[in-house]
Amino acid sequence: MAKVVLASALSRWLPATAGKPSEDVIVDVPGARLDEVLTGVFVRFPNLRDYVLDEHGAVRHHVAVFVDGTAIVDKRHPTQPLNERSEIYVMQALSGG
Amino acid sequence: MSNTLLISTRKGLFVVERSHGEWDIAAVAFLGDNVALTCVDPRDGAWYAVLDLGHFGNKLQCSRDCGKTWNECAVPAYAEGEQVITGDGKLPVPATLRLIWSLEPGGVDQPGRLWAGTIPGGLFRSDDHAASWQLVRSLWDMEERKQWFGGGFDQPGIHSICVEPGDARMIRIGISTAGIWGSNDDGATWHQCAQGMRAAYMPPERAHDPNVQDVHRLVQCREQPHVFWAQHHNGVFRHDGGDWQEVTNVSPSVFGFAVAVHPRDADTAWFVPAVKDERRIPVDGKVVVARTRDGGKSFEVLRNGLPQNNAYDLVLRHALAIDASGDRLAFGSTTGGAWISEDQGDRWAMLDARLPPVYAVTFA
Repeated sequence: MAKVVLASALSRWLPATAGKPSEDVIVDVPGARLDEVLTGVFVRFPNLRDYVLDEHGAVRHHVAVFVDGTAIVDKRHPTQPLNERSEIYVMQALSGG
Repeated sequence: MSNTLLISTRKGLFVVERSHGEWDIAAVAFLGDNVALTCVDPRDGAWYAVLDLGHFGNKLQCSRDCGKTWNECAVPAYAEGEQVITGDGKLPVPATLRLIWSLEPGGVDQPGRLWAGTIPGGLFRSDDHAASWQLVRSLWDMEERKQWFGGGFDQPGIHSICVEPGDARMIRIGISTAGIWGSNDDGATWHQCAQGMRAAYMPPERAHDPNVQDVHRLVQCREQPHVFWAQHHNGVFRHDGGDWQEVTNVSPSVFGFAVAVHPRDADTAWFVPAVKDERRIPVDGKVVVARTRDGGKSFEVLRNGLPQNNAYDLVLRHALAIDASGDRLAFGSTTGGAWISEDQGDRWAMLDARLPPVYAVTFA
């Protein structure tokens, strides 16, 4: 079961039932690969998909996904394997000063 | 006359209302978010707001209670394999939605119909109040599209959509940069409509090619719909049947982005001139509006109530609006100024606010 942390910049666009809009939302999702886990997150929060992925299924240019502390680099094919205790952070890429 | 004005800004949608003769901010939606455009649907009163979220893409929100609550709608999407091919030498790239740059309701006999013009150049149609969108393939698949290019943006974009009042099958779209394309059959077929325009920035042999005309904004007179006005990259043009006619005597400058036309009197139109093209600031640091009442034969320079010292406000193409009565106008600037006139521009009152950069203004 992977732990997925959705940064507050994303969670504010989720339904009110997801949690406080100003805080990270943390969900546990089963899956052996990153794309499976993300799909599980999108099943729970259907509108989130278009915030994280573009219309071709790639992780958006200005969205960062960290798996166990390391940012994924292949945003078009986020299929890397996970372990039982993987932690995934989905956040906005930093910009500005 | 409209008593509500919607100002879309870099940091939110400001709802401005008239009360006791004064205009003031009554509410703010999406505070902190980039609101690129707002569309009011006169058929059902719905408000649509385009959010251009830097990290998370374009979103479309709809309110059916005048901004009290908002719900997210679908946005146009390009299928895998679609490509942006341009005529300015850039390499082809996959087409993805960059920006919903224009959004207009369909006809009164087309409930649920909305048109969305996008960067990178696709026109989309919805027949279910933006619950879903379909790419207008008849336009996208034209060979001529491969000659379009961006003007200001890297990719071409549809910034103006004119649906003829009384006959919604008649559609004209302004594209930067691809002139004006028209359909007389509800989008089934398209033809170029920019004949007569002149592109000073092109090599001489291409200057009159309709498909390279950088139209900044296209508007249509509601009650005389055969008349269109266009603010173009290097001038102002008027269409009254036949070819477009260049209007060269706009004072103090023919450069600008915005244009508004009176809904009943096609000879009356307003522009917000600026120094061309590399500078894009008001002429002599004075914000003015140019008005013609005789179809472009002459222009008045309106400045009563507008800043006349050290003003560097640029007015973008969607940031000048006229209400349905034709008496009230409003515009907002990139430096956060907003001005409202209740007498067709003779006098202007500044909104008491220092807004974020204004992208679009519309009356509700």
